[in-house]
Amino acid sequence: MLQASPQPSRQAKLQAAIAEAAQLLPQQGPIGSFVHHNTLHHFEALPFEEAVKRAAQLFGAEPYMSEAAYRAELARGRFQLVDVDAALDREPDFPILARLSRGALRRAMITPGVREFDAATIVWRIEQGDLAKDFRKPALRTLFEACFDRTIAHEEEPDQPRPVDEIIHPWLIRLCSVFLDQGTAYWPMPHREQGFYESTRTLFSSRGGIFPQYLVGLDQEFRRQQDLSFSAADAVLDSLSSQAGDEAEWPEIIQAELLALPGWAGLMHRLEKDPDLAPHRTLPCSLLDYLAVRLTMSRVASRRGAAEITPEENPLKTQERRRLSRTARVYDAARVLRFSAQEIKGLTDGEWATFSSEIKAFHGLERRRILHLAYERAHEREILRGLASHRKYRGLFDAAGRPAAQIFFCIDEREESLRRALEEAEPRVETYGAAGYFGVAVDYKGIDDAHSAAFCPVVIKPEHAVVEQPKAEDSGLLESRRSRRKFLGLFMRNSFVSSKTLVRGWLSTALLGLFSVVPLIGRLLAPRQYARLHDWLNRTFLPEPRTELTLMRNTTQSQSAVEGLLTGFDPDEKAERVASVLRPAGLASGFARLVLILGHGSTSLNNPHESAHDCGACGGRRGGPNARLFAAMANRPEVRQRLRETGIHIPADTWFLGGYHDTCSDHIELFDLESIPSTHAADLGLIRKALEEARAQNARERARRFESCSAKVEARQALRHVEERSEHLAQPRPEYGHCTNAVCIVGRRRLTRGVFLDRRAFLASYDNAQDPTGDHLVALMAGVVPVCAGISLEYYFSFVDNDRYGCGTKLPHNVTGLIGVMDGHASDLRTGLPWQMVELHEPVRILFVIETTPEKLEKVIDAQAELKQLVTHRWIRMATIDPESGRVHVRRENGYEGFQEALERLPVALSSNEWYAGKMQHLPMAWIQAPAIIPSEAAG
Amino acid sequence: MSGAQTILVFVVLAPGAVFAVLGLLWLAGWAPGERVLSRLTGLTFFACTSGVAVLAWRLLAPGGVPAVVVTFGNWFAIGRYHFPLVLMVDRLSLAFLALTAVLSGLIGQFSATYLHQEPGFLRFFLLLHLFAFGSLLAFASGSFDLLAAGWEIVGITSVLLIAFFQLRPAPVENGLRVFGIYRACDIGLFVAIFALHHWAGTASFQRGFPALRGTHGTLIGLLLLLAAAGKAAQVPFSGWLPRAMEGPTPSSAIFYGAISIHAGAYLLLRAQPLLARSGLDSGLVILLGAATAIHGTLAGRASADTKTSLAYATLSQVGIVFIEIGLGWKWLAVAHILGNAMVRTMQYLRAPSMLHDYHQMHSAIGSELAPTGKQIEELLPQRVQLWLYRWAFDRGHLDTMLDRWIIRPLLQLSAYLAKTERSGTSGMLPQNISPIPAQGRAEQGGH
Repeated sequence: MLQASPQPSRQAKLQAAIAEAAQLLPQQGPIGSFVHHNTLHHFEALPFEEAVKRAAQLFGAEPYMSEAAYRAELARGRFQLVDVDAALDREPDFPILARLSRGALRRAMITPGVREFDAATIVWRIEQGDLAKDFRKPALRTLFEACFDRTIAHEEEPDQPRPVDEIIHPWLIRLCSVFLDQGTAYWPMPHREQGFYESTRTLFSSRGGIFPQYLVGLDQEFRRQQDLSFSAADAVLDSLSSQAGDEAEWPEIIQAELLALPGWAGLMHRLEKDPDLAPHRTLPCSLLDYLAVRLTMSRVASRRGAAEITPEENPLKTQERRRLSRTARVYDAARVLRFSAQEIKGLTDGEWATFSSEIKAFHGLERRRILHLAYERAHEREILRGLASHRKYRGLFDAAGRPAAQIFFCIDEREESLRRALEEAEPRVETYGAAGYFGVAVDYKGIDDAHSAAFCPVVIKPEHAVVEQPKAEDSGLLESRRSRRKFLGLFMRNSFVSSKTLVRGWLSTALLGLFSVVPLIGRLLAPRQYARLHDWLNRTFLPEPRTELTLMRNTTQSQSAVEGLLTGFDPDEKAERVASVLRPAGLASGFARLVLILGHGSTSLNNPHESAHDCGACGGRRGGPNARLFAAMANRPEVRQRLRETGIHIPADTWFLGGYHDTCSDHIELFDLESIPSTHAADLGLIRKALEEARAQNARERARRFESCSAKVEARQALRHVEERSEHLAQPRPEYGHCTNAVCIVGRRRLTRGVFLDRRAFLASYDNAQDPTGDHLVALMAGVVPVCAGISLEYYFSFVDNDRYGCGTKLPHNVTGLIGVMDGHASDLRTGLPWQMVELHEPVRILFVIETTPEKLEKVIDAQAELKQLVTHRWIRMATIDPESGRVHVRRENGYEGFQEALERLPVALSSNEWYAGKMQHLPMAWIQAPAIIPSEAAG
Repeated sequence: MSGAQTILVFVVLAPGAVFAVLGLLWLAGWAPGERVLSRLTGLTFFACTSGVAVLAWRLLAPGGVPAVVVTFGNWFAIGRYHFPLVLMVDRLSLAFLALTAVLSGLIGQFSATYLHQEPGFLRFFLLLHLFAFGSLLAFASGSFDLLAAGWEIVGITSVLLIAFFQLRPAPVENGLRVFGIYRACDIGLFVAIFALHHWAGTASFQRGFPALRGTHGTLIGLLLLLAAAGKAAQVPFSGWLPRAMEGPTPSSAIFYGAISIHAGAYLLLRAQPLLARSGLDSGLVILLGAATAIHGTLAGRASADTKTSLAYATLSQVGIVFIEIGLGWKWLAVAHILGNAMVRTMQYLRAPSMLHDYHQMHSAIGSELAPTGKQIEELLPQRVQLWLYRWAFDRGHLDTMLDRWIIRPLLQLSAYLAKTERSGTSGMLPQNISPIPAQGRAEQGGH
């Protein structure tokens, strides 16, 4: 009979098996704060090529783009045959047959290339498709015959159907969604505070329910478990013992059960680890509970005979057809190698075995791996050649005199075009890049926020809290704002909830319903004007108070009452935060009169993935507060005093100003303008004018990618276009986000200033000369690499298999429980990025180009285990450009390889617009010689 | 033909013509670009809306006519039976024509942006035009014969849009399910038309009903109720409604938030004079409506995904509309339909904003949102509560019952019949048909 309390060792084994399988689940939390991460994070201990292959088998996913896609790119000239050769040359080579080496075989299989064959279509292709066309040539027909005769008809692994899943999933999905619901359902699941297993058991074990055909008896099973007062672990163990006597089989069963609905299981797991991620209601999630419910349901379904309803064998995949398709693969390779039927017949059995197994070994997936390496190699060549050539021909030169302003941006590649546009609009400015939390890891609460939130990379836990407060004279304004907002909020919620109920819903539809036509028409026919009206109403009825931040801390001990956070930063901490950004950037002296810090975020309507467009370095939040805090800190005399002691000399006439850039609408807002000294009015005027021009130019550069925007659009019109995009209810592509990310350049801006990088490069400012020990680089890379690698790899996987690694097209997405999206009414929770976000992406692993020496970079890599793993397992690519000589080295498996390409001058354009106007595709690098700086260039 | 008649014909035929022309061109291998298609759609529905406005003026202005009727004679006639082609717009039709024209235009506008670069863009717009044509035809027909044609077009476009993402199995399966329910319930409409012709000699709205005797009228009322209940997802057919959420959001909005879901109510409004004569019919309409309203509100309360919860919110109001019709409050029902349609369309289109909206509300209110559903927890005893929640969770067990007690026995029966047929005919077939088709070698043998 049953064991009432199983052995602790069995419990431990179960926990271990669950923990092991759980690592394979998606790491994505509730969708409201989206943080980019490597989709295959768990596989980072393996080399990239191995990892994608394993994951592909495990998840049934694609590891690379399709072969056809690579071939199309090859035909388009995106990469060349020399790149394929270079990739093949790195593979082991040996003779297979008298006149054939492995390398030659592989080369021929890629170019001219072989076709893919499968059992489902092979007969059609032989009878009327491309093979039928082949067979019009008698030589090819006999060749096929010869191959067919020698192909043995051996077994292949059939797919394991899981018919039970189809029975239990509709209910299981619905159970997960009501259990995890954060407020969509009016009536929350009863007793869910007791956990998923307990509440489900209570719900189903009461009498009087009607169950689907294959779940009849579920109530009895749950009642039995209740009578034995099972815990979730007991229930799982009980089910496992009933289906597998051998404990060694458990990990496999558990893994298969969890991966059957990875989205829901993953979220349960995520919320178990970090319950506070739930946006509105904290729930006791547990993967064990989930498994207990799942296994109980499958057990009942199997008992009812659900497992026996196996579908009939697919007639398109019979043994004969498989043999034919295997034949076709060898035939096609023999064809491109120009083998004759005689030659095939003449092979000894051993030769034939080697020949056919080599062809089999270089299957589609392997070919795609080589093609992918070639594809990345071409990308690497283009970037490195461009950078090196720009370095060579443009040289490094210092602008004379004090810059008009210095502007710090986030390293985000979306800011690259804005930086360039700003430098084009006002050549006297200098721009810098730093991770967009600007060293200020903080738990922040704005005046309009209900809760505080961590504004920093997810790997950091903030230790300091900052609260936005109204200035004393405006506190009355805040009171009225709060009470009006509260009234409005309650009204909105009540009317929304009411409209879905029976009686109140009758009032809101039958009596008031027709009023909905006003927002309906407004939002759909004039989105921008409607948004303006909305803003105007907000400004009029909800005026915003002027605010300040709680920066000061009187004593170091004043731990605030909540969660052990320190209120604000003390002067030493402030100085440290400011220095942490200025020093790696090499900005220790030569400050302009105005230094701007621009955080960024993105606003869009009707977009469940909105948060994915926000600042990754701020943990998927909008980085305005960080920029504002940084500026406020850097302006304090006691901070500057301390900085002076560490060698950062900020002159008295330098003023720091925080700001915020909306990457969707290209709106730029500057904070605390009322406190800027009157002496800086002219400086401010200059920079505001430049920003105004730059954001319009930036909008125009972004608009070139949008098919729905005219190619000949003027900058001002483009700005209106992107503004409308961010306010459009029907817009699935408010912005293209990180779609174009491919490179991260860590170095001085001089290296890249004037280069058209097509919004493809993260730009982090780093001055090697001021970092003799390499410590700055270590700190910098610790912040930059995880963010960039996470973005790059998430885009990679969501692009190469949008259905499995990404979440497919947005159009059928259905927001569920305020925590995620499903396709339609009952699907797995979809994780990863939607197609509309990644469609322009070129799937390459991010290439870091660091302005330092290989020796120093190696030291930095060795200093951090995680970085080292990413680099040595090739999840990211690394190259250096020497700060002195400009020589480029690429890091390969066996050390650094000097970059030996002929350096031609980059093509020249007078403005960015001249280079990109009228073009939609990715563009190569160019030297943008803005007219204003040509004279000095020509002179030098 | 007078001006108003021409306009009526134009309003109904315009989307149909766009569908036919574009569809034929597509078959011939030419596909219009997105821009052309969205302009054309905007223009078509703008013209339709203007046409409806003119018709409204003719009907509603002081001294207006009660109805605009266009007769094209009969499509065909066999003996006593004839299929009349009559378009008619009266005040009731007018409301539905206006709703269809305005919402199709707005949804077209929305979808032009929403479906940008979607491979099925053209297919979606073709179906939108076909759907608009079907609804306009159903709402503007002067007899049940033509109404049935429009009704079927609405049904098939509805199914094709549910299965819009045809590369995944779930949309196709669910589309098929909806198709099955529609077909089963449409039997009601066809038999009703048949019976009308049989007993009254015509299925025309004006002349048909007065000629019916009591029980005949009741029977026809019941048949029409069956058709209406299927289309409006009333109990016991409600299970298909959440399954219909597989399509792109704008099609969910216009079909299940606005027009298709209310088409059943329109049918009953048309049959209202007949229903009013029979206590049984009116009673059943009220009963069905009440059951649906309660079912919808309970199932909706236990739904955690936005689109399903909206679907049930819509449904519970449609249930009330049925009650209103049963009670004879015709114009209240029409106002309710229009209001419900507008509210739900907006809510569906904004459905992806739920996270955003809740975040806004949360921060505006400044504290946790007050939990809902407390009164249920306080008022009901524990056992009842659990039972009721499970009942709501499984959506009234409607689909479970349908599956177990209708569909499954049917499938078993057909499997049995198939088996019987096979064993009876097996001797007549040649044995051992090879699954391998002829390939190269076989052909070579002949050379």
